[in-house]
Amino acid sequence: MQNSGTQKAGLVLSIAFGAVLMTVGMEIPAFAQGGIPEGFKKGELAAPPSAEMIEAGKRVYFTKCVWCHGVDGAGDGPGADRLWPRPRNFNQGTFKIRHTASGELPLFDAKKPVRGQNDLFDTVTHGLPGSAMPPWEGILTEEQRLQVLAFVTTQLVKDRSFTDKQSETQTILNMAELKPKSATEESIKRGAELVVEKKCIECHGLEGRGDGNAFNLKDDWGFSIQPANWHKCWNFRGSRQDPYSVVNIFRTFSTGINGTPMPSFADNTTIDERWDIANFVNSLCERDEDGKPLSIDPLTDKPKINFVIPSNMVEGDIPADIEDEAWKNAPRRYVAMGGQITHKPRNFVNRIDDIWVRSLYNDKSIAYLLEWDDRTKSVAEGKLPWAPTEVNIDIQEQEPTTGEEGSIAAKQNNYPVYNDAIAIETPVKWKELPAPIKPRYLFGTNEQFPVDIVKWEADGSIRAFKGTGWDKDFEERDNYEEHLKVLKSEWKNGRWYVMIERPLGNKKDQDYDEDTFFEVGQYIPTVFFAWDGHNGDAGRKMAVSAFYYTFMNPPIPQETYIYPVVIAVGVVFLEGWVLTRRANKKKGKTL
Amino acid sequence: MKALMSLGALVGVVGLLLLAGMIFDVIPSNTIRLVEGYMPMQMLFEVGCYVLGFTGLSYMLNAMGMGIPRFWQGIGFWIFFLLYIKYRVYPPIPFSVRAMYGTVGLVAVLMWVSANEEDWKKFKQPILNVLDAQTGFNKVLRYVYLVALPILTWGFSYNAMMPKSEEPIELRTVHPAPPASTKVHGKTYVLQTSLNPYRVNPEGKYDQEYSNSLIVEQGMGRLMKPNANPWDEKAEGYLKYVREGGEIFFQNCHFCHGDNLNGRGLHAFAFNPIPANFTDPGTIAQLQETFIFWRVAKGGIGLPNEGFPWASVMPPWEQHLTVDEMWKVILFEYWHTGYYPRTWD
Repeated sequence: MQNSGTQKAGLVLSIAFGAVLMTVGMEIPAFAQGGIPEGFKKGELAAPPSAEMIEAGKRVYFTKCVWCHGVDGAGDGPGADRLWPRPRNFNQGTFKIRHTASGELPLFDAKKPVRGQNDLFDTVTHGLPGSAMPPWEGILTEEQRLQVLAFVTTQLVKDRSFTDKQSETQTILNMAELKPKSATEESIKRGAELVVEKKCIECHGLEGRGDGNAFNLKDDWGFSIQPANWHKCWNFRGSRQDPYSVVNIFRTFSTGINGTPMPSFADNTTIDERWDIANFVNSLCERDEDGKPLSIDPLTDKPKINFVIPSNMVEGDIPADIEDEAWKNAPRRYVAMGGQITHKPRNFVNRIDDIWVRSLYNDKSIAYLLEWDDRTKSVAEGKLPWAPTEVNIDIQEQEPTTGEEGSIAAKQNNYPVYNDAIAIETPVKWKELPAPIKPRYLFGTNEQFPVDIVKWEADGSIRAFKGTGWDKDFEERDNYEEHLKVLKSEWKNGRWYVMIERPLGNKKDQDYDEDTFFEVGQYIPTVFFAWDGHNGDAGRKMAVSAFYYTFMNPPIPQETYIYPVVIAVGVVFLEGWVLTRRANKKKGKTL
Repeated sequence: MKALMSLGALVGVVGLLLLAGMIFDVIPSNTIRLVEGYMPMQMLFEVGCYVLGFTGLSYMLNAMGMGIPRFWQGIGFWIFFLLYIKYRVYPPIPFSVRAMYGTVGLVAVLMWVSANEEDWKKFKQPILNVLDAQTGFNKVLRYVYLVALPILTWGFSYNAMMPKSEEPIELRTVHPAPPASTKVHGKTYVLQTSLNPYRVNPEGKYDQEYSNSLIVEQGMGRLMKPNANPWDEKAEGYLKYVREGGEIFFQNCHFCHGDNLNGRGLHAFAFNPIPANFTDPGTIAQLQETFIFWRVAKGGIGLPNEGFPWASVMPPWEQHLTVDEMWKVILFEYWHTGYYPRTWD
């Protein structure tokens, strides 16, 4: 119903819009008026903010912003050297997310906090997902946000001027009059052809996972920059906390991203083509089984997490083919990954930020299908200088203050390459831990409560370890590896597909001193670790998940069918009793 | 009186519309829902307002000759209450807790409808009508109930017995009892007597009054006091150390605890539970500075046994920071959130 209403409204609007276009068309040539790209209009810089506003903004800046953006706004605050992307350097007046033509200053008006018409205000309000810039809505008032921007645009932007109408032009993307094209199959198909034709895939990769030319791209300041992964729209910097909106994609595609290799396509695409591309890019973003957008958690602006990974039972062998019905029917879970920042070497910038997990089991073993986006396939050249069991590997973590050259952002393209890897950790004696108690998540508690770690590496190896503490080397379980199977491991267009099969554990005497016993119908704490070899990840420098639970769906017990019927019959008797009693009472009889 | 009642009616209607908006997700969930830092009192107060609003609404309807029978009022309010506790708060309250509140709510409604004999009769009447009807609509209704009740009971119990894989609920001790003393970098600190060595006035004397006068202001934004900028080159004593603590915070802690110390850092989304929110009045505002020192130094791994489950990836910061750096970070956390550390007296 809502759809047809929108469509109707859209139809009316497009007719009206067409009429406007036709009248304009009579006077001016239809395409590009005076060098203005299609869909844009001329605009003007807003009036400069008052001195009081700037002064008030300074107070906001030195309470909240200075810590990353620095005293002079050069993006060199105390937090800067351990961040990638680095905090914005305001001095050059280069801003990414805008409604203005490529190279121009973004929209900013200290008196107009209107969504979509005030780019810098929107950025402060909604933050830049995928970077350390948080949304400030609800923390700073609207007025405070405008004040701090008044300070930044007048005092910290040094090479350009938000107040000089002589030197700066404003050519504004006229979003108010551009209505999204509905995302029909045809439009999406045309978009898919256009991203090839317009060479989008050279950087964004064949499947749009941002794996084309990864890490060789540089921004204006010489730091490595990675093309967006179209499958994770919640990480789009310009998503304005509305990740599944085509409007934002259309805007970014039309205006480009200043200071980065992402150009504006306003001059060589029509508006219609831009909507097709936006519809296609939007269609790639991860969705649930029914094709609906994932629900986004308002606390984190990432997909909502379900911490239970259900495992379905299959008869016979677990299929090694992802396209198999059993895998297709297995529920998929989003597993969020953060950097390991508890013990040295801490991983401040983890490039793997989620894994998609599915699981199946049969009477002997359980299999996990792990899929995660990794822009580079990394296999170490030659032998690694440490044993696979070693945990205390001598990898230096990023120093806190290094200046730009030594910062974490400057290193992104030149780490030594190790193996990509993934590991599944389960506690061995989970049954002896009272229900809510879990072992230490990092490599087990101690000898008494060890963990069982199965680790796959991109060189093709799969190993089983026993972990007894965060700083204890692993113990390799030699006799166990023959029981492990890698059913599949493939890197394709920026994504790893790895399927690992392992035994359910010792069922007979339940002597589970070394390996986890996977029991049907029980919640088995499960942790995932991931390493990106091109990020210099090895040892404890890795990405980690929180505790999830593997839950092997039990067959439905017979009681489920019997008891409800018994209860329903009981209710019928109860009804009979009440009615009889009532009838008797009315007749004057008492029971 | 009438004006007051119509105001109440307006409140009631607006409240109902807002709740409907939240249920059908028309209203953006992050604007109107209670997302964080709310107090149980706030919810109670709101429900109280709704009760007043509904009183007004019922008065107006009666005045217009469209009064709702007591029976439906009672049921309607109970349903409203159930929906309210389900949809008002994000993240949602677990079912078991809602079931408890729901029962209390039901008892309250029953007490209200049975306040006196006459009311109770009025309340019972529709039920008895259906039970006793010999003809007409109520008789049909009775047979519908006769069939529907067993079927519904069967459906609910079947549903309840089907094996499910819902996340098990975990209870955890947020602030476990601290030890009497803690040993950090070879030195023993007695929690009752230790002082933050950087909470000092420009003369270098420990001065809590002086430092408390320079913390950020409460209220939206929590901005620094004018003329108390830690980044001022002339800043001395307390303020200078606040800046140094902030530098350490933004090199180490903000990844989880966030740029605004609200537990929404870069990596926070991956953790469960998400990291502590220092701007919440239930965290550092309730604790002594030395308690924080112990938690910072020992991290999640140093939690005592009664701190189970160890659902904390808080690093033992003694592995990464010196004692001085930890004290400075703590100083900064109190400054930035505008809270005073609790004292022993």
